[in-house]
Amino acid sequence: MSRLKLPQWFVLLLPAIIILSAVVLIPLLLSLYSSFTPYRLTRPETLYKWIGTFNYEKAITNANFWAAFGRTVLLLTIALNVEMLLGLGLALLVNRVTWGQRGLRTLMMFPMMFSPVLVGFQFKFIFNDNVGLVNNALQSLGFSDVAIPWLVDANLAMFSIIFAEVWTSTSVFAILILAGLFAIPRDPLEAAKVDGCTPWQTFRHITLPYLMPFIYIALAIRSLDVARAYDIVQIMTNGGPARRTELIWTMIGRTGYVDAKMGYANAMGYISIFLAIFFTIYFFKKLNAARTELGMGG
Amino acid sequence: MRLSVQMALKGATAGAALFAALPVSAGEFDGITLQAKLIGGQQYEALYARIAEWEADTGATVEVISKKNHFELDKEFKSDLAAGTLGWCVGSNHSSFASQYPSLYTDLTPYLTPEFIAEYVPSNVAASKIGDALVMLPRAQFDVSALYYLKSLYEDEGNQSAFKAEYGYDLAPPDTWDQYKDQAIFFTDAPNFYGTQYAGKDEAIVGRFYEMVIAEGGQLFNDDWSPAFNSDAGKRALSWFVDLYKAGAVPPGTTSYLWDDLGQGFASGTIALNLDWPGWAGFFNGEDSSKAAGDVGVIVQPQGSAGIRTGWSGHHGFSVTESCDHKDAAASLVAFLTNEDSQKLESSAGPLPTRTAVWDHVVEQSSSDPYRSEVLVAFQQAATHAFPAPQTPYWIEATNVIFPELQAAILGDKTVDEALETAAEAVDEMMQENGVY
Repeated sequence: MSRLKLPQWFVLLLPAIIILSAVVLIPLLLSLYSSFTPYRLTRPETLYKWIGTFNYEKAITNANFWAAFGRTVLLLTIALNVEMLLGLGLALLVNRVTWGQRGLRTLMMFPMMFSPVLVGFQFKFIFNDNVGLVNNALQSLGFSDVAIPWLVDANLAMFSIIFAEVWTSTSVFAILILAGLFAIPRDPLEAAKVDGCTPWQTFRHITLPYLMPFIYIALAIRSLDVARAYDIVQIMTNGGPARRTELIWTMIGRTGYVDAKMGYANAMGYISIFLAIFFTIYFFKKLNAARTELGMGG
Repeated sequence: MRLSVQMALKGATAGAALFAALPVSAGEFDGITLQAKLIGGQQYEALYARIAEWEADTGATVEVISKKNHFELDKEFKSDLAAGTLGWCVGSNHSSFASQYPSLYTDLTPYLTPEFIAEYVPSNVAASKIGDALVMLPRAQFDVSALYYLKSLYEDEGNQSAFKAEYGYDLAPPDTWDQYKDQAIFFTDAPNFYGTQYAGKDEAIVGRFYEMVIAEGGQLFNDDWSPAFNSDAGKRALSWFVDLYKAGAVPPGTTSYLWDDLGQGFASGTIALNLDWPGWAGFFNGEDSSKAAGDVGVIVQPQGSAGIRTGWSGHHGFSVTESCDHKDAAASLVAFLTNEDSQKLESSAGPLPTRTAVWDHVVEQSSSDPYRSEVLVAFQQAATHAFPAPQTPYWIEATNVIFPELQAAILGDKTVDEALETAAEAVDEMMQENGVY
């Protein structure tokens, strides 16, 4: 009787393969398979019924799905740009501080330390139309004599959510860009000064190109974060009212866990993953281009 | 005694045993062990302590194998159904969940006398049935909404004369939903004071819409579970919510409010009229918890144009599984846990009973406390108009399809007709996809 001998490299990799299969590969394949079934959490037998691309067709022809998709892209675009600009400004300001910079950096990171669920509750209260801080302040200061429906009005509700997102995550940009500022070599900056460049020219042609790889890394990380935005929105508006703030993941969450239609939710999930993949590829291409420009290789 | 009970038990399959209505005799179920899955929580423990009495009386043993909240129990029951692990006998049930597992529980009617069943409030018994099968016995954990209002607004002579001049009838707490609307608009002084408020999202608003459709003489679903709310009654019901929002008689954020927001809102003293659950009664009149304390009145909920009062309700109950080997013993336990003494014990802590005699008992007990007495009388009347949520396993899924459309009409994104048509189409598609018809 001969013993089966596995190649040594395979044996060494086996624990990793088993763990990765168990926690990533198998769930991924199962969820992909279930997106081709009418799988409902409450009726386990539905997992074995093949319905082809029905769920995908249903999602693709569902106007509400595309509206949520569009809203997610809108949120992504606005939130990322605002965070980037504010983060850049904040980093440039902090970079100029000569005394107490460490303390400032720690302070700047405070919003990142809160759980998104708590941030959601905090802003839900702040923007509450009746007892909220914002309306009370506006009314007490005489700027308004009506209750502004921050979380109800179509534009204001998206604004409130973006505000909460920006508040909690601008520091991600600020910290990464600050790291970039620390990494800029002094020589080109001094050369620019000697050559008589204005501060704007120095920033535009020297500082910014050096910062771009850092900005793109921050954009790539945050784009994945925002594209799967769920917790803050779930708490603040739950996608409502009347689907005015419905994003892909609040919609998928409700379909999968409240309606128990896991097959359909997974199909929508797989379609939306393309959104995340698209943004990641886009930002990594930009990152590589920026690095090439700096002579850091593509 | 024992013999007569045993004979009655033998007759149970024929349709009418007596034991549950009678005091059980010693050793009646000697050696039998019943496994039970019960709702857990400190507030329920007092009742469960009585199980020992039943064990001593009958000789049976009760083994509680699971104690969880209803959402957790719901998942567990569904897993049991999927896995076929149904060796247990007694389960906690809820009128809003019961329809999801129609085959799990047995019809209790053959194990009880008609007289015993008649001792429960008829609307609660009706809400405990799936079709003709009595799948649970209701315990003293019952919820229906009555109308809370600020008394001082109605006692104010200025309000009385101004209201009469504007609307042509005397100002008194409303008996119809139209009067309610008039008065809510009349009392509003936004943004500091609003006539009323309503739950604006999720199952909550669909539940409120559902009871309003009934009060307007319509139905949410036809008998085959196809949507029936895109009707004149449905349109009148939804218009009621839309009109109040358009008139600014509700806080503009009401479409994002749920029960806690509503409770806090009325307790802040800035809301005139509030349809709400019995659990808030103490909170609304508490000096520490409410600015409305001392000014709260409670009456039965108003009626719609069909002369029917709203009454979306829910209650806890106990059921016996179809697969139980000792259904007679299990039914005896369930009857014991919901009998007069058990309900007196549970309702002494505040929850509403579901037996007529216990209602009378708690109202009498509270006679020295005028507010508590007013609350109980109002909710006793409210209970007689109660009806459960539509008994389909797809109720929650249907509410998720319906509520964004109701919101769209309320906020003016769609007309009432458009919103109801879209909602009805979506529910129709959902029911067909689920193979309901």
